[in-house]
Amino acid sequence: MRLFFIFATTLCLNLIAQAGESPYAVKFIPEHLLKNANIVKRAEDIQIEVVNSGESLLHYKYVLTILNENGDRHATLTEWYDKLHEVRSIEGNLYDASGQLLKKVKNKDVMDLSGVDNSSLMDDNRVKVHSFYYKAYPYTIEYEVTTRFNHTFYFPKWIPQEYEQLSVENSSFTVITPADYKIRYKSFNYKEEPVVVTEKNKKKTTWQVKGIPAIKSPFAAPMWNEITPAIYLAPTDFEVEGYKGNMNSWLEFGKFIYSLKKDRDQLPDEVNQKVQQITAGISSNKEKVKALYQFMQQSTRYISIQLGIGGWQPFDASFVGKKGYGDCKALSNYMYSLLKAAGIPSYYTLINAGDDSDDKYLMDAFPSNQFNHVILCVPLQKDTMWLECTSQSKSAGYMGGFTGNRKALLIDEKGGILVETPRYGIKENTQIRAIKGIIDAEGNFTTKINTSFKAQQQDDLHEMLAYLSKDKVKKVLNEELNLSTYDIVDFKYQEKKDELPQIDEQLDLFVSKFATISGKRLFISPNLLNKSTTRLNTEEERTLDFVFGYEYKDVDTIEIEVPQGYELEAAPQPVALKTKFGSYSSSIKLNGNKLYYIRTREQYSGRFPSKDAAELANYYEAIYKADRSKVVLVKNSTSTP
Amino acid sequence: MRIILTSLLLCLSIFSFSQKDPVFKFGKINVEDLQKTAYAIDSSANAVVIADIGKSSIEGNNKGWFSLIYTRQRRVHILKKGAYSYADIEIPLYKSGGGEEELSSIKAVTYNLENGKIVESKLEKSSIFTDKLDKNYTLKKFTFPNVKEGSIIEYEYTIKSDFLTFLRSWEFQGKLPRLWSEYNLALPNFLGYVFLKKGYLPYYIETAKERNSMFHIVDDGGAHASERYTFSSGVVDHRWVIKDVAELKEESYTSTIDNHIASIEFQLSEFRQPLTPKQIMKTWPDVIKELMTDEDFGKSLTAANNWLADEMKAIISGATTELEKARKIYNYLKENIICTDHSALYTKQTLKNVFKNKKGSVSEINLLLTAMLRYAGIQANPIMLSTRENGYAYAMYPLIRQYNYVVCEAEIEGKKVNLDASYSRLGFGKLPIDCYNGTGRLVNELTPYAIEFSADSLKESKLTSIILTNDEKGNWVGGMNQTLGYYESYNIREKIKSKGIEELVKDMRKSYSQDIVMETPVFDSLEKYENPIGIRYSFKVNSNDEDIIYFNPMFAEATRENPFKSADRIYPVEMPYTFDEVIVVTIETPKGYLIDELPKPVRVKLNEAGEGMFEYLLSESQGTVSLRSRIKISRANFNPEEYDLLREFFNLIVSKQSEQIVFKKKK
Repeated sequence: MRLFFIFATTLCLNLIAQAGESPYAVKFIPEHLLKNANIVKRAEDIQIEVVNSGESLLHYKYVLTILNENGDRHATLTEWYDKLHEVRSIEGNLYDASGQLLKKVKNKDVMDLSGVDNSSLMDDNRVKVHSFYYKAYPYTIEYEVTTRFNHTFYFPKWIPQEYEQLSVENSSFTVITPADYKIRYKSFNYKEEPVVVTEKNKKKTTWQVKGIPAIKSPFAAPMWNEITPAIYLAPTDFEVEGYKGNMNSWLEFGKFIYSLKKDRDQLPDEVNQKVQQITAGISSNKEKVKALYQFMQQSTRYISIQLGIGGWQPFDASFVGKKGYGDCKALSNYMYSLLKAAGIPSYYTLINAGDDSDDKYLMDAFPSNQFNHVILCVPLQKDTMWLECTSQSKSAGYMGGFTGNRKALLIDEKGGILVETPRYGIKENTQIRAIKGIIDAEGNFTTKINTSFKAQQQDDLHEMLAYLSKDKVKKVLNEELNLSTYDIVDFKYQEKKDELPQIDEQLDLFVSKFATISGKRLFISPNLLNKSTTRLNTEEERTLDFVFGYEYKDVDTIEIEVPQGYELEAAPQPVALKTKFGSYSSSIKLNGNKLYYIRTREQYSGRFPSKDAAELANYYEAIYKADRSKVVLVKNSTSTP
Repeated sequence: MRIILTSLLLCLSIFSFSQKDPVFKFGKINVEDLQKTAYAIDSSANAVVIADIGKSSIEGNNKGWFSLIYTRQRRVHILKKGAYSYADIEIPLYKSGGGEEELSSIKAVTYNLENGKIVESKLEKSSIFTDKLDKNYTLKKFTFPNVKEGSIIEYEYTIKSDFLTFLRSWEFQGKLPRLWSEYNLALPNFLGYVFLKKGYLPYYIETAKERNSMFHIVDDGGAHASERYTFSSGVVDHRWVIKDVAELKEESYTSTIDNHIASIEFQLSEFRQPLTPKQIMKTWPDVIKELMTDEDFGKSLTAANNWLADEMKAIISGATTELEKARKIYNYLKENIICTDHSALYTKQTLKNVFKNKKGSVSEINLLLTAMLRYAGIQANPIMLSTRENGYAYAMYPLIRQYNYVVCEAEIEGKKVNLDASYSRLGFGKLPIDCYNGTGRLVNELTPYAIEFSADSLKESKLTSIILTNDEKGNWVGGMNQTLGYYESYNIREKIKSKGIEELVKDMRKSYSQDIVMETPVFDSLEKYENPIGIRYSFKVNSNDEDIIYFNPMFAEATRENPFKSADRIYPVEMPYTFDEVIVVTIETPKGYLIDELPKPVRVKLNEAGEGMFEYLLSESQGTVSLRSRIKISRANFNPEEYDLLREFFNLIVSKQSEQIVFKKKK
């Protein structure tokens, strides 16, 4: 009996301990949320209240358990603010693994720093930063922040699983609006309808998720919105710094943007005269556009100044004319004004710029502020010219990887309309290379290399040539080529600035010990400069589709004169792969003392199901191997003394 | 041999300079200047600094003391678009305590040539922005208007500063080529500064002329009437000019380019008559004594620190020897205190707070370590040093601000051990590579002294052994056994932590030149941070029954790229350590094959002194090939003149280590 009694007491104590235990204790995290995770989002509650069309409040609270030091960077609270967005309060707590409170946020520990963007001369961004700098893992942080927006032009989005290797235990998102206020939303991977409750003239809409395991984004992953739940909000009627608008349609949204830029196209007199001068002898509109674009490129440069509504409103054309600088909005508006002065209509165009595939996606049925950049569209009789007005070096009419292959919003007084920017595919993005050279008796290779880079294949090179001096370009070439020891003997670049720009590169190289000479044999790996480096991981099961956005074609032809007296001992078999992902071929032959190598690779864009994983891996593996194959030459028995 | 020019003496050599030397009056730009499209100094430069002139002087202020007046005038010719960013100017201003720096005047003008005439565009005051970075620093920012290719831009500003200790230094060399770089310093005799010079370029002008000047000080002494003082003092006008300075570019194997840039720095050393004479720069013993009593450095080391009592009991419980105690304290700090700043000398919070808040700078953490070791009865002292990134410290001058790092030297059971508890995966008795940068100073109350931390004293030793044999089924199977160098081990631990061990193993597999199947490797000492990591695994070589097998006996261990890619070198190569890499391989000829050809053995020395050695010794006996490859470099720093030698040496290594053994099928 006594024994039983002790047992009962212990049990009882246990219960008490459990009742007093913090819900943030790490042991309450379900096992499946620990896999692949650096961080577990224990709880999150985001509330947005639209007070009226000119004011909204954001209140959010989140609890993260940081499992290891890779999670540390997300343990810091960074709250950006500016003239349109004020931070009202920041509170927070730190808990240990058992969920016991260790520390609270003190106001003096919240740093208030300049948040001016690196690419801006000046903007009004500032940032509040706080960190507990804790490192006994796992630990838990909790933050609660209240902020106010003095507009409803855009709202925070909800992506409970914000990044890789984060699992989510609980997260909810609530929007409170006046009962008669219409808010719009677009959801991804959220099957159910949100819960809507109306009380006291307020409408409350709530979305909620539970138990999302962490993921690692694999090779050629689809965009993040396809992988995890997300809700985007957009207003109907909105107001920002006294400007009113409606976002129900692209047309309406465009009208608002137009109202910000309206009447800002007055050029200073001397610039106006200059426009007349430049265009005087030219009859074709296309040539006029090119001439004025060149004038704009020579007389202005990109300087970003974003203050208040200035984040959305361009500076006057007269400002740019006088100072010779501006940001994407100001410069596009300036170019628009130059063209207008020459009697050529054009469209101020909003776009989401960026080289990532996620940047190319636009929620086209969900009119909202999804843009970060402005370009100019010039409709001409036969075709349309697109102008990137922030670049002092780009070809007129060329968009490239930053703004090509996507939808953009044209703006005029009637409103906005979505159009496609130019597409650059396998025919455009080419790299054609011819290598000719001689290998001496020590295996050194003296060679001349001619390469033509076209469209997106020349984007990086173009930037390098535009910004670096020849001396620095040489330094880059000196270190960047994937060869062991080499000297740049000479190099030259020629740019053909066209709607499809092309750069011709001529490179004279001396590659030391390019061929390995071992006794009577000579080993040559003929693929000098274009080896594929991609090898896929086949061990983990693939669950996501493969998505390829960038198309290109490379052709390499190589002619190598080898020392006299060698004959072929071994050469790799020709490879010819034709797949739905792309095609590849390479072949080698020796003719007299000349070795010929030809390699062609085409990469297609497309979307392929996860079950293609093995096939795709084999394809890449075959290319990887073929690119590294060696030719073995052996001295003729007749020539041996 | 590092060439650093230093001088404590005031060089009073006065030599006249010719009439032809240019004068750069603000705004005096000629049409010919604007017509130039390239400069001989660097015909490919995107922009050239025509003149960069700094002036510092000292005057009395109305706070009862002196202000530094610093004026900078800079004229830059923008030749290509790539240099437009040089038209964006940032001027940092500092404030702290009662003192501040104030931008008292600024002008900036862009000059363009239009139809043969010079057109000026002036900076408007409204285009100057103020960006408050944090509570100490503010940036004044502006960009020049109407900048085009061919524009000359010129600006001049004056800063009035309360901080006599921050007499502005001057870099004669930097991002752009400079035709004329000049610094003027009008130094009154009542203030003494030490001049510290760096770089390899000779001065075109170096003069010092003495004159007399009046100084006025007003003391607005709050309640009582303000007092005025006027006195006369000798002033020496120093002038330094370097002409035609080429840009210095950062190369690989450089600790920091700042060590090589032509520059001059100043350190306040004393107040002299008519001020109350006071030695500001002390002798090393005095400086150390002050550091030891400074609340922001050593004071807490000599205190009783009884707040540690309870904590220490728990931390060293169970430890009996000094070594056990030291290890427990060291591990406790590494595991519990996060380092928020790896460049700090003074503390900003008490050691008690560091302990309580579980975060601190490197100096706070290692001073805490020192205090805790002392509390446990172990002799321990801090060492201050300058990291590679921070640049060399001049050992002979007791200039505290040169130092940016603190470690701890403990004497444990009669042996001296250096400790750094600021990196969680560093081992007991190890310091980060970045610390091996010349002379450090041991700070204690009795016998402070200098300690040498040289890269030459660090040796990375790596030993790899691979045995490849035929198993009973006729498969070619191998065993790999490797002990890494210490710093490679450190990097691998960091990589495992950030990317996971699977990624590491994947990379190991990929680095093989052969088609192999690798068994799961075993890692030794992964968690024993003071030991190098050992790696062991077995593998199988896949073969396709070829007639000829070409086989690189270096497996994944070949040096595939020359670390010295650039064709030439202007300043010394500074490697982080010396190294000794040995690979021993035994290969049994695959069943059914014969050896057709073997690479020839070689052995070369880097130089006569044998400070580098490469051997590739290969022999065959009864169908078994034995290889021993060794690369040994016993010096970490090399002169530019030795660069070609180094590059050729590694070229030979890469080439030799890519050679193949040829096996032929028996007929």
